[in-house]
Amino acid sequence: MIETSKYHATQNDLVAEQAMVEASQKEPSKFAGLYDAYYEQIFRYIYQRVDDKEQAFDATQQVFIKALESIHKYEFRGVPFASWLYRIASSEVNNVYRAQKQRTVNIDSLGVYGMIEEMEETKIDHYHDKIVDIIGNELPEDELKLIEMRFFEKRSFKEIGLLLEITENNAKVKTYRILEKLKKIIK
Amino acid sequence: MNRKVNLNRPKISSEEILKRKNFDSVLKQSVLSGAKPFFKKPWFLSGVVALTVALVGTVLLTTKNTKSDQPLVNSSAQVADSVALQAFYKSEEAKPCISPPIEGLNVRYTTYKVIAEKGATLNYKTGSVITIPKNAFVDEKGKALNGEVEFLYREFHDAADFFVSGIPMTYDSAGIKYQFESAGMIEVLAYQNGKQVNIAPKKEISFEMVSDQNGAQYNFYKLDTLKNNWTCLGKDKVKPSSVATKNKLSETIEITKLEETPEYINLEVKKVEAKKEKEADLVSLPQPAKEPLKPAPYKKGKYTFNIEVDANEFPELTVYKGLLFEVGDENKNFNKSMYDIIWDEATIKEGAIAGLNYNLTLLKGLKKYDLVVYPVFEGKNYEKAMLSYQEKFNKYKSTLDKRIVEEKRIEEVYQAKIVAFKAKQEALLKANRERMDKLYKEMETAEKVIRMFSVSSFGVFNCDHPSVYPTGVVCSASLKNDLNKKLMCYDVYLVDKEKNGLFTFTKNPVTRLSFNPKSKNMLWTVESGVLYWLKPEQFSSITGAAKELVLNKVNQKFETVEEMKAYFNF
Repeated sequence: MIETSKYHATQNDLVAEQAMVEASQKEPSKFAGLYDAYYEQIFRYIYQRVDDKEQAFDATQQVFIKALESIHKYEFRGVPFASWLYRIASSEVNNVYRAQKQRTVNIDSLGVYGMIEEMEETKIDHYHDKIVDIIGNELPEDELKLIEMRFFEKRSFKEIGLLLEITENNAKVKTYRILEKLKKIIK
Repeated sequence: MNRKVNLNRPKISSEEILKRKNFDSVLKQSVLSGAKPFFKKPWFLSGVVALTVALVGTVLLTTKNTKSDQPLVNSSAQVADSVALQAFYKSEEAKPCISPPIEGLNVRYTTYKVIAEKGATLNYKTGSVITIPKNAFVDEKGKALNGEVEFLYREFHDAADFFVSGIPMTYDSAGIKYQFESAGMIEVLAYQNGKQVNIAPKKEISFEMVSDQNGAQYNFYKLDTLKNNWTCLGKDKVKPSSVATKNKLSETIEITKLEETPEYINLEVKKVEAKKEKEADLVSLPQPAKEPLKPAPYKKGKYTFNIEVDANEFPELTVYKGLLFEVGDENKNFNKSMYDIIWDEATIKEGAIAGLNYNLTLLKGLKKYDLVVYPVFEGKNYEKAMLSYQEKFNKYKSTLDKRIVEEKRIEEVYQAKIVAFKAKQEALLKANRERMDKLYKEMETAEKVIRMFSVSSFGVFNCDHPSVYPTGVVCSASLKNDLNKKLMCYDVYLVDKEKNGLFTFTKNPVTRLSFNPKSKNMLWTVESGVLYWLKPEQFSSITGAAKELVLNKVNQKFETVEEMKAYFNF
């Protein structure tokens, strides 16, 4: 699998980004650079988790408004600025769920096939529907988050680790445990 | 919390997302703008007089001698520059999907005349072969065309070809941007009397494109010029090619999983059938009668009851004659005086241990006793019962043994079939592995390969695989010309000689220029139709962080792509 994320950052990226953050803390209009850099990925993160496109655009707008309002409190902790934005985005998504009293799960069949492939199973179509059913009804929220990030958003374990504030290895181990569990259930 | 599941919701394009970006709105909606208006703040009111004085002074000075008021002039120029730059970017972003960057420089089409009703096999200068079936063309209304059709074809094989063509080499997959590495790209068009024609339904034009790029990692894409993105059409087929081997080519490599081939699937089906056959055979075996109950002898000194039982209700108890029910030791409520009572009713029911004990209920008026009793036989009756039992048991055992033997035989037949099917599958896997190894080896040693594909529409097609920017050094780069002036350019192309692609960055400064320092690199960009480049040796001084790069103007005017390739040592 190709590591696709723009989320990974080298030390140089982090330093350059921190300079943009510091400029934004002094002058809000400088926040435009960070807005441009992260708008699409934050939108996609939210859109993956909500039902409606317009809802996703609104929530994305709210994330950046909140980020701008709180940027004076932001402290650099050696991780990409994006991880802070994702925390705000996650909270915004939870607000949507609370308002709707419903959690949306957007499942991509290709992602499900990816899961089945990881399980080293061959009866792809047979298991597809079972897995969709389990994800939609039974999978605990913390496990759903991992599956969603890994298979429907194609994030690397490193990125998942950063987003969920766990180690890369832990993200990997947990994901494979979930797959093992699913494998037992569907068989 | 309830969950709502959306399966395979349509993807949303980057363009649509980016259209909704509105930073001004974020600024306006934030509390930063909702704070007390600046003109009502004390610092403003206290400073307003001084500022007015300063403004008056500035106006006076400006009226007198604007040249001496340098900061004001600079500020206006910067704004004008910024406005011009934004307008330039907008015009660049609005350009058509295919926009050759240098006017008059492009890969030329080769034009063939094809008689529509006859079809044709065409040979391109690179050795590629195009096969057009008869009656392959229709007009815009779908009407079959006859007569001469102008068939235009060209191929693109390296970074210079890709660059001059202006064909985008980036691929957006669900919002993730990839850079293409190509094994060859083609453009194919056809006209009749100046009007573009289409390929007839159910007709395909086949291509055997000679490519320098061996390897099976490439997909086959068509450029969607409206969406400005590529659509994946699947995989091409690859076969080795060289002048010497061209006419005795090995078989084509089809990138399909062996597990999906009919031979393999057929064996899987046979395995299932064998299992079903085994289960049917087992079901058809004669079932042995229930194992007969071994009669138990009466133990001396024990109390027994002689009760008649219904043969229909308890067939196992009526097999032998002289049945008695012995009172078990667990009956603490039993006493021998019960023998003296003439009971109104005595009923038998199956006990806790099926076939071994029974519950006897004795009723007399309001008196009721429940006893656990065991079927036994006494004296001659026991001997006769044992003889009968032995006969029945032998019969039962014989049938059972026969069944066990038969079951074993059926299982062995089944296992033999499975082993045979598995062996066939292993042989298929092995043969496939060997075939693939051989072909890959041939491909590695072959100078060129032939990539085979068919199309059912005209346009631009590409054998590519999505890749990412080369890595090693990352910096932000401000591009200047040799007069130290910032270049007004939009697309900036990185050429990495180790990769057959054209890695595209946008805008100057390039915020994240990424390249492999171990490779031979070049950077190309165009300002007002003039080509500028960063030479390979200039990359050695780029070590990261922000960098100002001085690009060299290419003064030579290229008439052909070949001239350009010679200049850049392709």
